[in-house]
Amino acid sequence: MSAVTSWLQNVTTSCSTVFEGLSITFSHFFRKPYTVEYPDRMETRVQDTLPFRYRGMLEVDLEICTGCLACERACPIECIVIDTTKDKATRQLIINRFDIDLAKCMYCGLCSEPCPTGSIHHTREFEGSDYSLESMMRRYVKFPVAAYKPKKTAEDDPEIMPVLERGMRYLDEYAQPEAKPASGTTSSSDTADPGSGPGGAA
Amino acid sequence: MSVELEVHDSQGLATEEMTLNMGPQHPSTHGVLRFIVKADGEVMRRAIPDIGYLHRSIEKIAEKVGWHGFMPYTDRVDYVAAMACNQGWAMAAERLADIEVPRRGEYCRVIAAELSRICSHLLGVGAMGMDLGAITPFTHAIREREMIMDLIEELCGARLTFNYMRIGGVAWDLPHGYVEKVSHYLDHFEPVIEEFNQLLGLNRIYVKRLADVATVDADMAIAWGLVGPNLRGSGVDFDVRRDIPYSVYEDFDFDVPVGSGEMGTTGDCWDRYIVRIREMDESMRILRQALAGIPEGPVIARVPRNFKPPVGDVHVKIEAPRGEQSWYVSSDGSEYPHRVHIRTGSFTAMGIIDRLSRGLMIADLVAVIASMDIVAPEVDR
Repeated sequence: MSAVTSWLQNVTTSCSTVFEGLSITFSHFFRKPYTVEYPDRMETRVQDTLPFRYRGMLEVDLEICTGCLACERACPIECIVIDTTKDKATRQLIINRFDIDLAKCMYCGLCSEPCPTGSIHHTREFEGSDYSLESMMRRYVKFPVAAYKPKKTAEDDPEIMPVLERGMRYLDEYAQPEAKPASGTTSSSDTADPGSGPGGAA
Repeated sequence: MSVELEVHDSQGLATEEMTLNMGPQHPSTHGVLRFIVKADGEVMRRAIPDIGYLHRSIEKIAEKVGWHGFMPYTDRVDYVAAMACNQGWAMAAERLADIEVPRRGEYCRVIAAELSRICSHLLGVGAMGMDLGAITPFTHAIREREMIMDLIEELCGARLTFNYMRIGGVAWDLPHGYVEKVSHYLDHFEPVIEEFNQLLGLNRIYVKRLADVATVDADMAIAWGLVGPNLRGSGVDFDVRRDIPYSVYEDFDFDVPVGSGEMGTTGDCWDRYIVRIREMDESMRILRQALAGIPEGPVIARVPRNFKPPVGDVHVKIEAPRGEQSWYVSSDGSEYPHRVHIRTGSFTAMGIIDRLSRGLMIADLVAVIASMDIVAPEVDR
């Protein structure tokens, strides 16, 4: 008899435990769904909802590139190739080649850390499918250009100014994101922190 | 691998061991992982793990890319919990060069590492349910994990390969309003664990499936070198964060959950499962304390770009989600490490599976792999 009772008990506990779980599943009919229908039915593009620090595809603003090769040295997989020459007549640094192989890039962000002007930076673009590996090679220099020379005074060239501003903002974000509080109130932390430069570059 | 057939008689009938191949592409082997199962009917005699499918020679790469450049590679050691690996490498290099990390940097590390631990355990327990046939809990776990991923993405810009820590501290400070965001998330997450237990962990069918399966007692766990939640599931009260404190873990008050055989024997699959669930609770406790007590100051010490630590070698232990991870790093004073060795928790857990699987049903092998929370790339590195 006890075998029958324990069997019945097992059946009832199994049933009750199943319905206990199912009640949670059922409650999800009345909750807001967490899934989104990517990419067609999003209200805003995913790229626009990503945080500022998002490490998407690399982009170079050649106007403010100083040709210092810091990014090339920092890259652990050598996907950045820069070729510079010194123009003897004008004593200017000429960038002949600035290639980034996005197929090799692992989006680690080590290259954008030491950049003094924020020229090389990550965008929030991540949709990078392409038909060939060759087209993943981004060649930024079409014709050799002179490298940017940081001025002692504030930048006044109207063409370069906005680009440099964006670059410096990018570097600020690296160093101390609290520098640009979203609201007027002072942030809780890290307002006096000049010591923490980008990546502690020395 | 040579396969020997064992022929023996039982009641005059010649029977023969059957050799089955499980993997490398099997939905429940958590990556590319292969078992050669020798079975007598449905009962396993042996399950020999065949590892090496995901070997990427990460230790050798370290000798070629230098101290700073190796940081993104540590993300790939255990991609489910990359923060811990980041921290191991950073701590090893810091100890070599005797660099002191700013206090705020250490707190940022703890916050990131504990978020990553919750993330990893969620995937572990969710996948365990899925391996045993309960698919719904997996989606619940993944939903929560996704929210933590969003938080981590805001912190360091990536969802999986974080590359957040640097030698000397962390790369970025916490973003504006991050403390509030994480506390808000923790408030949301606390009842979710209850719900998850109701859905999966305390479900009678699930308990019956796991209780008394593949029991590892304390002596055996120590003898086989199990670490982390697998060791604690066997009732051994050891946690590197508490017993050999590193970073700022001394500042926090937290318990170390230990398996006690509530549903069966101590050290069975269910104990290993519930230890992970309770560790998430403890991680939340640490997170709350860290968020409340985070000091002001810089997050990274000044470390030269051309980093050359003095000659010597160090051995650093950290508590990764998959158990004690030890880093042996030897430097010859140049800009490249001389030798790096990583010992990970999954590797030893993999070793014990052959011993545990003897006499179990083939279907239980999946439960054993899942309860050990093995991540195949961490085994091979």
